[in-house]
Amino acid sequence: MVLVWLLAIPLIGGFVVLFSGDRAAKGVAVGFGLIEIIAFVVLLAHGPANINVPWIPEWGVRFHLGADGLSLFLIGLTAVMTVMALFASSKTYRRSYFFWILFLEFGMAGVFESLDLMLFYVFWEVILIPIFFLLTGYSGSRGRPAAMKWLIMNLVGSLFMLIGIVAVAVLHTQPFGALTFEIGQLTHVPMSAAVAPWVFASFFLAFAIKAPLWPFHGWMPDAYSDAPAPVTSLLAGVMSKAGIYGFLRIMLPIFMPQMRQYQTGLLIFAAIGLLYGAFMALRQKDMKMASAYASLSHMGMMALGVFSLTEAGILGATFLMVAHGLIIGGLFVVLGFAEERTKTREIGAMGGLNDDAPRLAAYFLFFALAALGLPGLPGFVGEYLIIQGLVAHDVVFAVIAGIVLIVAAWYMIRLFQGVMQSVRKGPRILDLTAMQVGYIGTLALLVLLLGVWPAGITSHAAPTLYHAVHLLATKGGASS
Amino acid sequence: MSATSTMLPEYVILGTLLIAMLGIMVSRAHSTLPSWIGLLGTIGGLWATADLWSRHLKPVLLFNQSLSVDNYSLFVDFLVMIAAGSTILLGWQGEREHDEFPVLVLLSALGMMTLGMSANLITLFLGVEILSLPLYILAASHRDPLGGEAGLKYFLLGAFSSGILLFGLALIYGATGSMTFTDFAAAVSSNSPILAAGLMLALVGILFKLAIVPFHMWVPDVYEGSPDAVTSFMAFGTKVGAAVILLRFLAYGFYLSPDAWGPLLGYLALLTMIVGNLVALTQTNLKRLFGYSGIGHAGFLLIGVAVHTVVGARAMLFYLLPYGLAVIGAFAIITMISNGEKNVTIHDLEGLAHKKPWAAALFIVFMLSFAGIPLTGGFIGKFYLLQAALFAHQPGLAVGLVVGTFLGLGAYLRPLQAMFRRESNEQALAGWNVNWAQIVVLVVAVVGTIGLGVYPTPVVHMVNQSANFFWLH
Repeated sequence: MVLVWLLAIPLIGGFVVLFSGDRAAKGVAVGFGLIEIIAFVVLLAHGPANINVPWIPEWGVRFHLGADGLSLFLIGLTAVMTVMALFASSKTYRRSYFFWILFLEFGMAGVFESLDLMLFYVFWEVILIPIFFLLTGYSGSRGRPAAMKWLIMNLVGSLFMLIGIVAVAVLHTQPFGALTFEIGQLTHVPMSAAVAPWVFASFFLAFAIKAPLWPFHGWMPDAYSDAPAPVTSLLAGVMSKAGIYGFLRIMLPIFMPQMRQYQTGLLIFAAIGLLYGAFMALRQKDMKMASAYASLSHMGMMALGVFSLTEAGILGATFLMVAHGLIIGGLFVVLGFAEERTKTREIGAMGGLNDDAPRLAAYFLFFALAALGLPGLPGFVGEYLIIQGLVAHDVVFAVIAGIVLIVAAWYMIRLFQGVMQSVRKGPRILDLTAMQVGYIGTLALLVLLLGVWPAGITSHAAPTLYHAVHLLATKGGASS
Repeated sequence: MSATSTMLPEYVILGTLLIAMLGIMVSRAHSTLPSWIGLLGTIGGLWATADLWSRHLKPVLLFNQSLSVDNYSLFVDFLVMIAAGSTILLGWQGEREHDEFPVLVLLSALGMMTLGMSANLITLFLGVEILSLPLYILAASHRDPLGGEAGLKYFLLGAFSSGILLFGLALIYGATGSMTFTDFAAAVSSNSPILAAGLMLALVGILFKLAIVPFHMWVPDVYEGSPDAVTSFMAFGTKVGAAVILLRFLAYGFYLSPDAWGPLLGYLALLTMIVGNLVALTQTNLKRLFGYSGIGHAGFLLIGVAVHTVVGARAMLFYLLPYGLAVIGAFAIITMISNGEKNVTIHDLEGLAHKKPWAAALFIVFMLSFAGIPLTGGFIGKFYLLQAALFAHQPGLAVGLVVGTFLGLGAYLRPLQAMFRRESNEQALAGWNVNWAQIVVLVVAVVGTIGLGVYPTPVVHMVNQSANFFWLH
């Protein structure tokens, strides 16, 4: 039941916000965000949960929600980052902004909870709408075209995935009779060589665009840089994980033979994205752009972990999803603080902020170090596991991943130096308020906790993933 | 079961129509009495339909096999009642100067209901004509040049297509020696060229009413020139009538020879989905935009017919409902903006989100339903059509549906983005006017749209009982 509450709370909250005044909107929204976190804690205490009732029985569509090791912490990530985003949002935004943020939380929680393909698709598309309106109504000058690009690129992916979903279900009826959309039952769909690549591609495209992975990241730079910082932190921190999650939740069980068949190609493709993102991050002049490309590079890293098709790699990707969500989300919130104070995003126009704002600089440094994968912080754990998986599969990709870690240190330190150190160029700024320290500090503590105690997640996630990897061994023929 | 009791919805509408006419005679000019009578009549018709539905009757053939009352026709009655009732409500103020407005709407609705029941060639033609003639008058009921153009264009092209239809029906009769749909099957195997020609001509006549490319040229001008309420009736009601008769005609009469028409309709569906939505992208006048996007939706409907399976029939029947609800909802907003005076363009929507946030929110819901975004009925409809296409091993139609949807989305986004534009123009929303009738339509439309998106099971169940063409596979 708590699974349903996790969906209902943001939805109810959204409508309550709509009916409250513009002034009260932020407070009400934060309240519902905190209730959502409580609901998540209840879920955590209860352990794995499952709800499965018929939705459209004629089509075999079921309202099937579940939280297992793979999705549990992503649901938590959604709850935590939404509250961070709500805290970091300006009070001056109208209530519709807070409605859309809560609606986005509803959609993202739904994506991570759904175990029925049709239900998954419903939430998958629901995500598009709040982000479209947040970009259209609340971002900078390039927000409107960014919104269009976002919607159009993602819809291309997801509409073709819809064909793929129905096709998988229809193919399933041929030997098994009844129409079903349950992911768990679709794992044995027989696909002929003529059909399989197309169905595979329809899913792959949708997930690759949403993540985004190179070269499907066309919507990303404008959307990440022009959206308000809290929205960017949700986009990069949580929403992007939906793409990687799709690979893990849907593509591994259903398309394992195809994944094996195309594995080398997929790895090359992810590795290019990894390198491309890192080098693009190096040469950005806009601090949000630099972080956006850093995030693109990290998505490539997670994809490498998934495509390694080894236990360690997949476990690493699962862990890194949560860790990266907290870190990059936090980084974008901190960048938002800096932008709000200096009114610019140009690295060249900033500098020396740590003289006036040592606390801001400290948190900036913390999240930057976490993002570059400093040992002791959670990014390192995830990347270590992924590289371990890559070594087991093909050492070339492990070497590439290792090189990118060096570049990552370079671009993150460059960003920190450019913004916080060197000579001051702008007027004096104020440091973080106690309130801001309160929530960003909590997030930093969470990151630290994850860094020193990764088993908190991996011990939950591993059993689920063993199941996936077991499938890998039985369906894919030769094991790694 | 007597003919009277199984055709109760039709008799209710017929009776209402006559009473409303009498009402015009006894009441003052510009009275709302005929509208009230018409509205109560459609509610009565809905009630009668629901009553018949709940009795789970066996299908009956009436009047020497010319009308078939079954779940299919009852479902059509539901749709037509919603269309007619909402049209009368939307025309409450704008068309008040024409007392005969509700009478003509009900008469046209009667034609649609006839099409839903039609089981032979005579009732087919009668239904098409009863549907069309009142609409010719309604289209021209705005006494301005655009209205005149709309009426004349609709009338001339409509009469021409009726002639083609009639010629086709005559050829079919000549080839088969029978008027009844179900008798054609025996003759179809004889492979006669006369029958093939008759079928083609009859299809052209019906596809014209459904506005399938390349028989769609009348739509934009007629939609633009007609009063808003009438346009919403054309967009919803006419499509219901034309789509259901096309399905019944082919599924009862020509189910043995799907190769003669299935591929043709499939290609036309593809063409219609792409062209309709593509041209919709370039429109700035909202009624023209809905006209072209309606053409695109007709293409989606045609998928259900072209695949020639029972899933296709059900999907098509289902799709009519979310489409229609979104149409009446969107037109309710248009009538609020236009106030019966002007043709609403995208620029008139500017600033709507800031000045009238609730209307804007509802408009978003209807646009998203047109576009087929989840949690709205339009998505479930598209999902059903995709199932139909893929079950019939027609991935081309599925891809066409997706591409059409995608193009359509681009068309619907432009009004949405205009609503959020801050620098609104001064004239926009100057004639803003809301009355209770529009609010009733809006509530029905939004509850229906979201209800269908969140819990479509009851309607899916109804549709499955309606399109129960067990002889298809």
